[in-house]
Amino acid sequence: MPGENILIIGGGPAGLEAARGVADLGYKAILVEKRDRLGGTPDSANYAALTHGMRDASEVMAEIVAAVSGNPLVDIRLNATVTESSGAAGDFRVTLQENGGPATVEAGAIIVATGFDHFDPGRATQAYGYYEYDDVITLTDAEAMLKEKKFVKPSNGQAPDRVCFIQCVGSRDRQLGNEYCSKVCCGIASKQAIEIRQLLPQCKVFIFYIDMRMYGYWENEIYWPAQEKYKVQYIRGVISEIVKKGDRLMIRGEDTTMNRPMEVAMDIVILSVGMEPSKGTKEIARILGLAQNKYGFIDPAHGSLDTVSTSVEGVFVAGAAAGPKDLDDTMGMAGAAAMKAAALVRRKSKAPSPLSSPPVGERVG
Amino acid sequence: MPIPINIPVKGPAAAPSRKGEFRRSPDDAPEDLRAMALELEAKGEWIVQRVPEPYVEVQTKYGKAKKIPLQHTWHHKSCGQCGHIPGYSTSIFWLHRKLGLEYNDPRDQTSCTAWNYYASATSNSAAQAAVAMRNFAAAYETGYFPQIHCATSYGHYKEVRSELIHHKELRDQVRDVLKKMGKPLVIPEEIVHYSEWVYAVRHEIAKRQVLDLRNITATVHPACHYYKLVSEDAIYDPDVYGGQRTAIVTGVAEALGAKVADYSTWFDCCGFGFRHILVQRDFTRSFAVQRKIEVMRDEANPDVTLTHDTGCVTTLDKSQFAAQAHKGVTAAIPVLSEAQFAALAMGAHPYRVCQLHWHSADYHPLLEKMGIDWRERWREFEDDLERLKKNPGAVMTWDDADAASVPPNPEHLAHGGR
Amino acid sequence: MATGTGTGASSAGLARATPGGSVERGAEPPFEEKLRLFNEVTQDLRFPDYLYGCYECGICVAVCPSARFYDFSPRRIAQAVAREDVELVYEQMNRDVWECSQCFSCLRCPRQNNPGGIVTIMREVAVKNGLHSAKEALEGYSRIIYKIMSTGTQVSPDMIRPDAFPDWGPTAKETADNLEVWRRAMPPETMHTTSSSWEVDDKTLTELYLIWHLTGVLDMIKTLDESLHMILVDVMEEKLEEAGYPLGG
Repeated sequence: MPGENILIIGGGPAGLEAARGVADLGYKAILVEKRDRLGGTPDSANYAALTHGMRDASEVMAEIVAAVSGNPLVDIRLNATVTESSGAAGDFRVTLQENGGPATVEAGAIIVATGFDHFDPGRATQAYGYYEYDDVITLTDAEAMLKEKKFVKPSNGQAPDRVCFIQCVGSRDRQLGNEYCSKVCCGIASKQAIEIRQLLPQCKVFIFYIDMRMYGYWENEIYWPAQEKYKVQYIRGVISEIVKKGDRLMIRGEDTTMNRPMEVAMDIVILSVGMEPSKGTKEIARILGLAQNKYGFIDPAHGSLDTVSTSVEGVFVAGAAAGPKDLDDTMGMAGAAAMKAAALVRRKSKAPSPLSSPPVGERVG
Repeated sequence: MPIPINIPVKGPAAAPSRKGEFRRSPDDAPEDLRAMALELEAKGEWIVQRVPEPYVEVQTKYGKAKKIPLQHTWHHKSCGQCGHIPGYSTSIFWLHRKLGLEYNDPRDQTSCTAWNYYASATSNSAAQAAVAMRNFAAAYETGYFPQIHCATSYGHYKEVRSELIHHKELRDQVRDVLKKMGKPLVIPEEIVHYSEWVYAVRHEIAKRQVLDLRNITATVHPACHYYKLVSEDAIYDPDVYGGQRTAIVTGVAEALGAKVADYSTWFDCCGFGFRHILVQRDFTRSFAVQRKIEVMRDEANPDVTLTHDTGCVTTLDKSQFAAQAHKGVTAAIPVLSEAQFAALAMGAHPYRVCQLHWHSADYHPLLEKMGIDWRERWREFEDDLERLKKNPGAVMTWDDADAASVPPNPEHLAHGGR
Repeated sequence: MATGTGTGASSAGLARATPGGSVERGAEPPFEEKLRLFNEVTQDLRFPDYLYGCYECGICVAVCPSARFYDFSPRRIAQAVAREDVELVYEQMNRDVWECSQCFSCLRCPRQNNPGGIVTIMREVAVKNGLHSAKEALEGYSRIIYKIMSTGTQVSPDMIRPDAFPDWGPTAKETADNLEVWRRAMPPETMHTTSSSWEVDDKTLTELYLIWHLTGVLDMIKTLDESLHMILVDVMEEKLEEAGYPLGG
């Protein structure tokens, strides 16, 4: 029954986990992905290891992809984007643009899992020269090198002696209109700092920060080992400017703990870029008429007690489409979205549940 | 010995960058003060003086267009320029005349008084706004559109505009003050700095260029009050510094064929300090010399440093003498406004028009390298002075300034002067 | 930071109160007076746009020219006001604020604070209340206030004098020696002046005087420098009356 189909938009961790959940509950998932392969940002941005747990990203993503590939209840549509939508909860008609042309799918509920984009450091308030200097890179650029276990200066292929991270690039910045914290950058920078120290024991690694936000186990699993075992140097104060001197980079800032200005040389500077709603997230919010917050992320309609329902009945959100999220949050939301979407189509279809146990009590809606 | 720095001034780089090209989006811009000014006009709060045609549209920081009127401009002069480095103002006027663009040089104009305000705080936001709006009303009454010569006036007026837009009580207070003098409350559609006009006509200047500047290396000091105050209003060009820094001045020098060399303290201020330049110049001198001049010399070794503001020209030019005397350094870096540099390139007289005798840092080697026979030009100017001394009350006229005394150096023309 | 040291001036022997009740060197006002000054700063209409919050990233200090030469920190300015540290703000109003260059490089603050703007307001309050630091910082500055307020242009050609600018080298003397003829030897019709930067119409000046009167600037000058105030009033009153502007109080 088409009204019992659940359309899932986005084939990254949130979409994949939601699809698995929907199929596990016995409903059919239609999984739409605009790229030609599944895996989302961890795959497209070449993530090396995932926080927390430091497991190999390819390995983890392969597991999640395997859970839906070949599953008869998951209809995977690659190279497909959503262009139009009509109808309401229980009866959505959604037009896709696929390789072969437009196609229409019917679904009782929709789960939006369109994720985030990394902040473009060209827009940084401070003068970081990302587009000017080869050796100024982002967390994603660094991640790609770490995945290859070869961490070198992009300008000349040589191993660096001094590397630093600059935190909060594109986050916590009123000038940019991104007042929020992107949540994961402190952990990822610290994780990468450890990886660099493991690869290059002679290389000094610095992290320039405003506050280190290492929630829960990130503290003992990443932050403390980085400081204690790997001797990563944490310096309170953010860099205002990077200029190239000879073949090195000179960074300027204030060491706000020691109350003194800094001008020091680095070989590689890694900008800890934050999260912004992806173009896909903004586009899908427009097509489906979903309320967004001032940053463009999709707003959950009921706050903390229901993180996945949106302003439109029958449309749910999971993962970083709803704001900066780490992987743990994303997977949790995906499960919740699958459960709520399944419950909704079950109510709306007025049909007995495909699950064996009968519904209990009065149905709503 | 500092290591020379090497930032590509002209972008995008010849080899395609693996990072791609950066483009700003107007969606990222903060609130649009120009649109808000028009909304207030619709509500009858004030008049928005429209930019007269013809105008050139230039790009600002977030990719929005800004209208720069070519002529029919009301020249909001700078007290520091007219008072201490008058060749600055004269060159701006001369460029207008040579390009055939008419303008108004008003007597119904006061300073913005912001230099004093930033120096001594002996004023307040209502007085500052009233001074600005009195000048704007005076321009409006003539029908000419304000072109502001000083970057501090420009930056301060942008601040005033923002304060007036955001605070109704301030608007009401200033409207009352102006009413007492029979003037309406008027805000220009765009707040325009003269350097934006020079940037807008840079290719027209280059077409009329008579000197070949390809062997001239310049450093550029962007003025703080031009692009740090209300930064979204400043000119940015994706092809200059990859759109990551303001293109002002640099775009002009490049259009004239000069080489712009970078230096690591480009973002630093000049050391002017407003109060410091007047009563605490030890700070000004130290900062200007140690953080700007010496860094420029070590990293770029320029023939000239170009800037676009009163305070910056004054500070960078005047601060070099004491350091030279103290350290026994003889080589100075001459300091010019880009308007003076452009006028020289178009064949302006270095003394009658550019008034270089008011400058302190030795500019003679620069003139020689540009192909200007400064000894002969000075001799002509001394003749002018003798004539004026003999005729009390006589003044130099624009005709005198343009008297055919500057035959382009044929050798330089042979290099393909444009 | 130690409190109770006022301006940090050691010459407590010079302590005395001026007739206007303002503070002279060494005199330490009671907390209530400092609180009044603090409130004057935070109640300025611009203040809400100048201070949001500060998470001590140090950007403002990194880009600050004055921080390189003085014990000055735009971050401490922002922090002191944010913490409502009335004693420290008073101390800063008596020293630090006059070290700021007002270049506004600190506008790069990611929180969109404007420490330079806070300094502007603190200076205004210091001047308006006749704090000794304001008088000291503006020593030798009266002629400039006189020039801007009375001629409408701040730095006139005749201010270039070798004794005023000995560090500007021989050009200063040469300019002073030839001033009159050099001024005539430039083509713009408005610039053949020596005592003002350009010719300003009388009507324009009168309008400027009216602004000083109506916006309280003359009162500020009175607190700062009574004799300067008298001279300015002399210059202005006649013109304003001639133009028929009723001055009232």
